[in-house]
Amino acid sequence: MNFAMMSGFDEWFSKFKDRFINDFITDNRWKYLWNGLGVTMKITLGALVLGILLGFLVAAIRSTHDKTGKLRVLNVICRIYLTVIRGTPVVVQLLITYFVILAPLGINEIVVAICAFGINSGAYVAEIVRAGIMSIDNGQFEAGRSLGFNYAQTMYIIILPQAFKNILPALCNEFIVLLKETSVAGYVALQDLTKGGDIIRGRTFDAFLPLIAVALIYLVIVMILTRLVSILERKLRNSDH
Amino acid sequence: MTTKNDSIAEVKDKECLIEVNNLEKHYGDIHALDGINTKIYKGEVVVIIGPSGSGKSTFLRSLNLLELPTGGEIIFEGVNMLDKSVDINKHRQKMGMVFQHFNLFPHMTIMRNITVAPIKLLGLSKEEAEKRAIELLGKVGLADRANSFPAQLSGGQKQRIAIVRALCMQPDVMLFDEPTSALDPEMVGEVLEVMKSLACAGMTMAVVTHEMGFAREVADRVIFMADGKILEIGTPDEIFTAPKTDKAKQFLASVLK
Repeated sequence: MNFAMMSGFDEWFSKFKDRFINDFITDNRWKYLWNGLGVTMKITLGALVLGILLGFLVAAIRSTHDKTGKLRVLNVICRIYLTVIRGTPVVVQLLITYFVILAPLGINEIVVAICAFGINSGAYVAEIVRAGIMSIDNGQFEAGRSLGFNYAQTMYIIILPQAFKNILPALCNEFIVLLKETSVAGYVALQDLTKGGDIIRGRTFDAFLPLIAVALIYLVIVMILTRLVSILERKLRNSDH
Repeated sequence: MTTKNDSIAEVKDKECLIEVNNLEKHYGDIHALDGINTKIYKGEVVVIIGPSGSGKSTFLRSLNLLELPTGGEIIFEGVNMLDKSVDINKHRQKMGMVFQHFNLFPHMTIMRNITVAPIKLLGLSKEEAEKRAIELLGKVGLADRANSFPAQLSGGQKQRIAIVRALCMQPDVMLFDEPTSALDPEMVGEVLEVMKSLACAGMTMAVVTHEMGFAREVADRVIFMADGKILEIGTPDEIFTAPKTDKAKQFLASVLK
């Protein structure tokens, strides 16, 4: 009985080993995941930077309009941008960016993906940042202006540092969403992490291990990211009681 | 320093610092300021009193354009601040303001709260600004709190720091918008003490307050406002012992009880 169980486990383990070797070791198939991870990170980081730049710019325009009534035309443009981006699926945006706008110009796929995901993320970052700015008591703004700071200085020196601390969890969440959303980059012939796992599945006809491996890699990156942000949050909290 | 016994005629010989002509403020249908005319002279302490909703805070906040008036003019040091070509930020540097809710910057140390504006706006070096700050902190008895954060201070301490923050810009006039209204009763005294010593040092001050004792003791002139208008201006004696209008009589009867 005991022996039978042992041999059952041995059998399972040796099958698992064969599958593992076949999925990841033969023909250096692990390189699909490794190179895919590289592409995923490039797209995510590029889109992150673009999204933050766009997001802060749009938030600055929108809250300046809310507070002072200036920049009306720019505010309308920003609102159209937010409505369109948040109202359509990111895959569709990616496909449009690729096939309609940028591919005819022969632009590199990674750049296309960075643009598409960055423009998408910017819309969400913009609303997070704007909410953060609005969450700061207007007295802070008045105190800054009463000392003689102009609008931009007040924003930069007084409002944004406080707003940033409040919105850090929401921003972190947006980055996690962004990282995972890039998994649709395969739609425009990019071999990102998800596509890498899928290629292995196509070669070995084994879906389980490659896809679980892909899922685990995303999970580990998200956990590392979450940890880094909570360290940053604690640091910011320490500097201000 | 003029004392409260100076008559208005004597005050008028002094240099006029702020002249307000026909100031109007509408919020939609509400007429918050209805043709305000007054002058604030160099070195005098003007206390503005009146029932809530009378427009006294709106008036004070109009002086440095935190509220944008809808009509009239505010002439500060010879310049009409409502002129489109005026750089309001330059003039605000000369008008310190203290708020009811302190509005210290919670993400900065006390020292940084005080020195950030002089460093960035007046071009002082960090050392110069900190020297100024330490001297002022000593005067309000908080020299040991330079490295604290606002949240570690009591309300009275916060308000004294807020006064120091405004003073560090070396303004020509200080505006106080109900500086003691948000304080626990036992902390009101320490803030009023600082304001009194400021008045004695010859600072021009415009103060909106409910502290009638302070108005009596320190004010050179008291302005009584109601319904967006100035109903009475006079020495504290004139206003408190012989109010002319019914509204002032009513108001004083209710607050001096």
